[in-house]
Amino acid sequence: MFGKRIDFAGAAGFVAFMAVLPLVFGGNYLIGVLTVSVIYGIWAVSWDFMSGLTGRENFGHSLFIGVGAYTAGFLNTKFGFSGWWSLPASMIAATVFALIIGLPTLRLRGPYFALAMLSGAVIMQRLMLIFWEQTGGEEGINGIEPLIHSQLGFYYFALATLVVTTALLLALARSHWGLILRAIRGDEATCQAAGINVTYYKIASLVISAAFAGAGGALYAHYQLQVSPQLFAVVTSITIITMVYVGGMASIYGPVGGAILLVLLTELLRDFGEWRLMVYSCTLILILFFLPNGLIAPTWRRVKAKLGRPQ
Amino acid sequence: MLEILIHGAVSSAIYAMLAVGFTLIFGVARVLNLAHGSFYALGAYGAYYFTSHLHMPLLPAALLAIGLVALFGVFVEKVLVRPMRRSQLAVLMITLAVALVVEQALFLTFGSEYRNVPEFVSRKFTIGGVDVGGQRLLALGVSVVLIGLLWLFIQRTRLGSAILAVSQDPEAASYMGIPSDRIFSIVMALSAALAAAAGVLAGPFLTVQPTMWLLPIVKAFAIVIVGGLGSIPGSILAALMLGYAETIVGYTISTSWTEIVSVAATLLMLVFRPAGMFGKRAAF
Amino acid sequence: MSALLEVSGLNKHFGGLQAVRDVSFSIEPGEIVGILGPNGAGKTTLYNLLTGFIPFDSGSVVFKGRNLRGLAPYRIAGLGISRTFQLCRPFIGMSVLENAVVGGLGAQGIDRSDLDQRALALLDQVGLGGKALLPVETLSYGDQRRLEIARALAAKPALLLLDEPFAGLGSGEINDLSALIRSVHAEQGLTVMLIEHKLHEFMRLVDRVIALDFGEMIAEGTPEDIVRHPAVIEAYIGRGDEQAEEQTDAA
Ligand SMILES: Nc1ncnc2c1ncn2[C@@H]1O[C@H](COP(=O)(O)OP(=O)(O)OP(=O)(O)O)[C@@H](O)[C@H]1O
Ligand SMILES: [Mg+2]
Repeated sequence: MFGKRIDFAGAAGFVAFMAVLPLVFGGNYLIGVLTVSVIYGIWAVSWDFMSGLTGRENFGHSLFIGVGAYTAGFLNTKFGFSGWWSLPASMIAATVFALIIGLPTLRLRGPYFALAMLSGAVIMQRLMLIFWEQTGGEEGINGIEPLIHSQLGFYYFALATLVVTTALLLALARSHWGLILRAIRGDEATCQAAGINVTYYKIASLVISAAFAGAGGALYAHYQLQVSPQLFAVVTSITIITMVYVGGMASIYGPVGGAILLVLLTELLRDFGEWRLMVYSCTLILILFFLPNGLIAPTWRRVKAKLGRPQ
Repeated sequence: MLEILIHGAVSSAIYAMLAVGFTLIFGVARVLNLAHGSFYALGAYGAYYFTSHLHMPLLPAALLAIGLVALFGVFVEKVLVRPMRRSQLAVLMITLAVALVVEQALFLTFGSEYRNVPEFVSRKFTIGGVDVGGQRLLALGVSVVLIGLLWLFIQRTRLGSAILAVSQDPEAASYMGIPSDRIFSIVMALSAALAAAAGVLAGPFLTVQPTMWLLPIVKAFAIVIVGGLGSIPGSILAALMLGYAETIVGYTISTSWTEIVSVAATLLMLVFRPAGMFGKRAAF
Repeated sequence: MSALLEVSGLNKHFGGLQAVRDVSFSIEPGEIVGILGPNGAGKTTLYNLLTGFIPFDSGSVVFKGRNLRGLAPYRIAGLGISRTFQLCRPFIGMSVLENAVVGGLGAQGIDRSDLDQRALALLDQVGLGGKALLPVETLSYGDQRRLEIARALAAKPALLLLDEPFAGLGSGEINDLSALIRSVHAEQGLTVMLIEHKLHEFMRLVDRVIALDFGEMIAEGTPEDIVRHPAVIEAYIGRGDEQAEEQTDAA
């Protein structure tokens, strides 16, 4: 009970901090960076929900991000839908793709699933280039309208989306539902012996993960006002996986911290702009070696244990 | 027709060189090495750097590049992969991170422009009315010879049979006193050297740039999945199939579709016959 | 009332190996039935066929009047057949309590509101009450076996299939576990099948024994009859010293 209250206080403190940050320091530049970090947060949490809990590392999360972003781009520029349709539409589109790729591949394990998803993302990226007449090829789709004209307003909207996403997925992960997903990671045969429809839960978790990734993709499209095939790139997925590793796999809230930390950190290294990906890759190696459980979630658990003891 | 036959053979040969090394290190050490494509890229960049910056003659430059990449492979295996071997996913992550580090290092050193690797043979040959670059024929020939030598090495030498023993049953091999850790390093060196050789040979007619590791690794993976993980003959056959499939698609539809062929083949294969076309049931 | 489980003419081959050949038997509600057979007799395969983990070639399995042919394992489990595995397969990365809770999440038509309390009670019953919050990896082998049973019971099954529950346990532990099986049987009227390849532990526990060898049923009867059955003696004595020892062990 006490642990829950500390969690809640921690979450509230974090949200307040993120909300106040742009008011204190101001400047559109910082708001932009924070917006991007929050969108990465959505992607990292959604990755963790499926991959962290069920233990199937998805190397093609960018597939769902790209699908979400392109859906937003198409609807907004080609069909003239208002930007507000982008969020639900991109979630639906990502869901459809999750079903198409998930149904045949989810029975694969470990590296095989990772590779299948990676292949899916690579195929989509190529298709964007091949059908350049429809998709705009290398340049992608430009002229997407902003969702909210005030930059600060949009940032708050993205932050709210992150909070809702995290709260929902965290609640799910801590329910019996999440327990089943973790059991699937533990042993599929035993799950079946316990009467659990493993396939259903795996598909459902991939669909949920994809839907939120797609929503994040739509937000990103309306932030950049442009989408390009680069969204489907393998590095996008790897960046997200690194963030989750930093945050702490399967903790759901950890990856939010991991995403924000890494985006801010690389902004601090902006003078070394070209070194950004190098920093990510080296971080990943260091984390794999020295902090296999990540940084954020284990730290928070330790803080909680400290606070809990004196009472 | 003849054109497809020849060019298909060249692509297949390059793919086979990549895939054989990739499947070898998996078969022996159960390591899915995503840094394999980086060895290929480093081979090509090495040849480029030693010839154009250090002005070395091509053959020593090529051999030096291949040797250094083999050493790098041993480093990756010993220092980075070995401590992670308990978890296949950790191996996947660490080798992927290595691939990205290599890509970024190449990018930071050489930029993203295309680089030229000099050709061993620059004249063209005409075979049955079809013009073929000499370098392509050389690549084909060398790859057949190298893979043949590798096969003989594994089948005929003591070290080769130790490698086979480790790949079939690591535990039994360790009872027999075969030092499996040394075997892993040797196989990694061989595998890296083959990939680097592929890079040196194919470099002149491919685009040499920092991201060049990605598609080859996806293709090597595809080939190895189709051929059955860990099976050398399987991967050679699959390399032929993919090499020709891509060439045919390139000629009949459009070259922009060739890249998708192998990736789509992997996906289909994973979905329908995850054990590979010829392989036994792999370690799922 | 008809039989709870009715198996007739069951066949399964793996390549050239006939792992289960023309096996027929039925289980009445409330029975405790032992499956006996030397290594490789096809006992585990029989369980895999009954629970849908492996499809059978021919024959039929009817549970509570329902034909199980072609049903997925989770559907069969949901209908009320719980099983344990010969090699313990706990959910790695979860606590002991969570392992037991998951056992109750798949069964059809059971009340899940008090699942956590029920799982705790089950852990108490199998003697793991004090270890509920430990990570499952830290359990000893014997404790993992108890946990398997708690997990299986959490689904409130009508039929419990145990695969060599006593393997690798000391005699004290075996007595405890036998007592546990007897008590859940007595309290809940649970029907139990259990596999052993030594008769020893069976004798006082089971009502009836089905003996398998090379996939075939070679005998069926009370434990006392089975020990004296010529085909069973032949199956054990004919197999070299180790099994002969076990046989004397059993007698
Ligand atoms: N999935 C499978 N594929 C191929 N052969 C199998 C398979 N499962 C079991 N077998 C074979 O079927 C035979 C019966 O095996 P099973 O595991 O049912 O024996 P068992 O009676 O449980 O033996 P034990 O006492 O050793 O557990 C064995 O020869 C085994 O090798
Ligand atoms: Mg068995």
